[in-house]
Amino acid sequence: MFGKSEKAAELAADITDFKAVRGRSLLRDAMARFVRNKAAMASVVVLALIVAFVIIGPHFAVWDNEEIDWARMGDILAQGAPSIETGHFFGLDELGRDLYARTIQATQTSLLVGLIGAAMALLVGTAWGVIAGFYGGRLDSIMMRIVDILLAIPLTLILILILVVAGRNFVTLFIALGAVSWLTMARIVRGQTLTLKTREFIEAARAGGVSESAIIFRHILPNLIGVVIVYASLLVPEMILAESFISFLGLGISEPMTSLGRLIAEGAGTMGYGTLWQLLFPLFFYVTIIITMFFIGDGLRDALDPKDR
Amino acid sequence: MLTYVIRRLLVAIPTICLLVVASFLMMHVAPGGPFTSERPLPPEVLANINAQYGLDQPLWKQLWDYFYNIVVHFDFGPSFVQKDRSVNDIIAQGFPISLTYGALSFLAATAVGVGLGIAAAIRHNSWVDYLAVSLGIAAQALPNFIMGPILILTFTLWLGLLPGGGWNGGQWQYLIMPVIALSTSYMGSIARITRSSMLEVLNSNFIRTARAKGLSNSAIVWRHAMKPTLLPVISYLGPVFVYVLTGSVFVDLYFSTGGLGQSYVSSALTRDYAVLLGVTILYGALTVIVNLLTDLAYAWFDPKIRY
Repeated sequence: MFGKSEKAAELAADITDFKAVRGRSLLRDAMARFVRNKAAMASVVVLALIVAFVIIGPHFAVWDNEEIDWARMGDILAQGAPSIETGHFFGLDELGRDLYARTIQATQTSLLVGLIGAAMALLVGTAWGVIAGFYGGRLDSIMMRIVDILLAIPLTLILILILVVAGRNFVTLFIALGAVSWLTMARIVRGQTLTLKTREFIEAARAGGVSESAIIFRHILPNLIGVVIVYASLLVPEMILAESFISFLGLGISEPMTSLGRLIAEGAGTMGYGTLWQLLFPLFFYVTIIITMFFIGDGLRDALDPKDR
Repeated sequence: MLTYVIRRLLVAIPTICLLVVASFLMMHVAPGGPFTSERPLPPEVLANINAQYGLDQPLWKQLWDYFYNIVVHFDFGPSFVQKDRSVNDIIAQGFPISLTYGALSFLAATAVGVGLGIAAAIRHNSWVDYLAVSLGIAAQALPNFIMGPILILTFTLWLGLLPGGGWNGGQWQYLIMPVIALSTSYMGSIARITRSSMLEVLNSNFIRTARAKGLSNSAIVWRHAMKPTLLPVISYLGPVFVYVLTGSVFVDLYFSTGGLGQSYVSSALTRDYAVLLGVTILYGALTVIVNLLTDLAYAWFDPKIRY
């Protein structure tokens, strides 16, 4: 009487399926939005290619980045041009060093500077902002006054000052970049914390007897992640720009280490002799990194901050 | 409003004082100095030089003298490296030049950026919009020290139209490239900010009301949408001014315009702390003042803000 109908079986399976529907978390939502953003995804791919090139590239290098090609250094215009035969894929620089190896090393430096600078800003800025915003009162006004004062100073000049006073090396550079870049982050985080701490779920946590540090780490920080990630991603190109600017002036990383800003400066200095490759290769990597970082930052903002559309 | 101005001034003045003290102390903790060289000077000579520049005094006395001379005589003291020149001379020589092309770049970036942004927003999703957006993004990736070489390459080496550097009393040929180099990337940011702000304003209720009552498009844009659009742009102008100031360091060096930036970098390399300090304080004070002015302009533009 009750024959087997496929439709009924399907319906029955549907009804008896007690698996809870998995909700879509905010992060997964944001992820989906980011993946749909064509410009941002293309930028991620291009940036990944550059990172891969920087990691794999040295294995194909014929020359070291400090090695001087004595045979060709006398006539760089004629013999130093990019060529596969000589092993100088990007040509020679003005001192006869292989530009391929140097460009890779410079790109590594610039990417590192961007990441570490942004990471330092993220750590210091978030800590400062959360403490000021969460504890409020006099502490808040003192801490924010300090930020206001520091913000009122042209930071690139301070960066130069720090590098002159503390000496020029990697560690100083990272510390100096971190020291000047956390201010806006601290402001943003404080603002967010101020609105978060009056929300009901914080009140509930307090009522439930959760300790202050647990409130900060379990309830406030996770809710800040979106804003912080967006701003940090926008900071990366800014850090690369600042480092390149300093290096261009000759105040950044010292030889034999180099950075893209320094290479561009050298290329710009010699372009009058017709050795254009010395400018164009570093310039290409530099502009590509900056543009992709802008698109990724914009994509992250659109994805994580749905209000802003 | 007046109380707001006074309150802001009360913050601005200590800021500048703190800047003076902090930079002064930073310079003096630094190891080495303008008189340390590879061949050390005889101690008597060094003592004489230190006495000449007042470096033998205790630190607090030096700081007080420095501070006092700036506040009362507006005197930044003598240069440590360039003999017979005071920091005031150096500033008086270089600052007008930096200020001239700095101000022009500031205006150019604002005018072109706002124009592009508005054009893009009005013709949203048309070719004008796409062109403006691409231009804006490209411009943002081209900071002054990238634009400089590109401009020289194109206009001086290939086309031979413009002189590659120099100042020559500020003739227009000498101004074009520094101004373009300095303003491009901020033009890009301003265009993007203006565009998104204008789009948001054009979608708001009061613009719909204006359209519903039959106002012409130009009246809507200029009479109603303009002021709220410019608010975020104005708040960005303070930072732009700072960037123009620091960017001028590069322009001076690259185009040999003879502005303050040249002295700044050379004094950083020769450890001429007096000049370094003077220029940092001057730029810092200017920044504080411009930030104050932008905040006041903001208050004037946005009647909703109450102080």
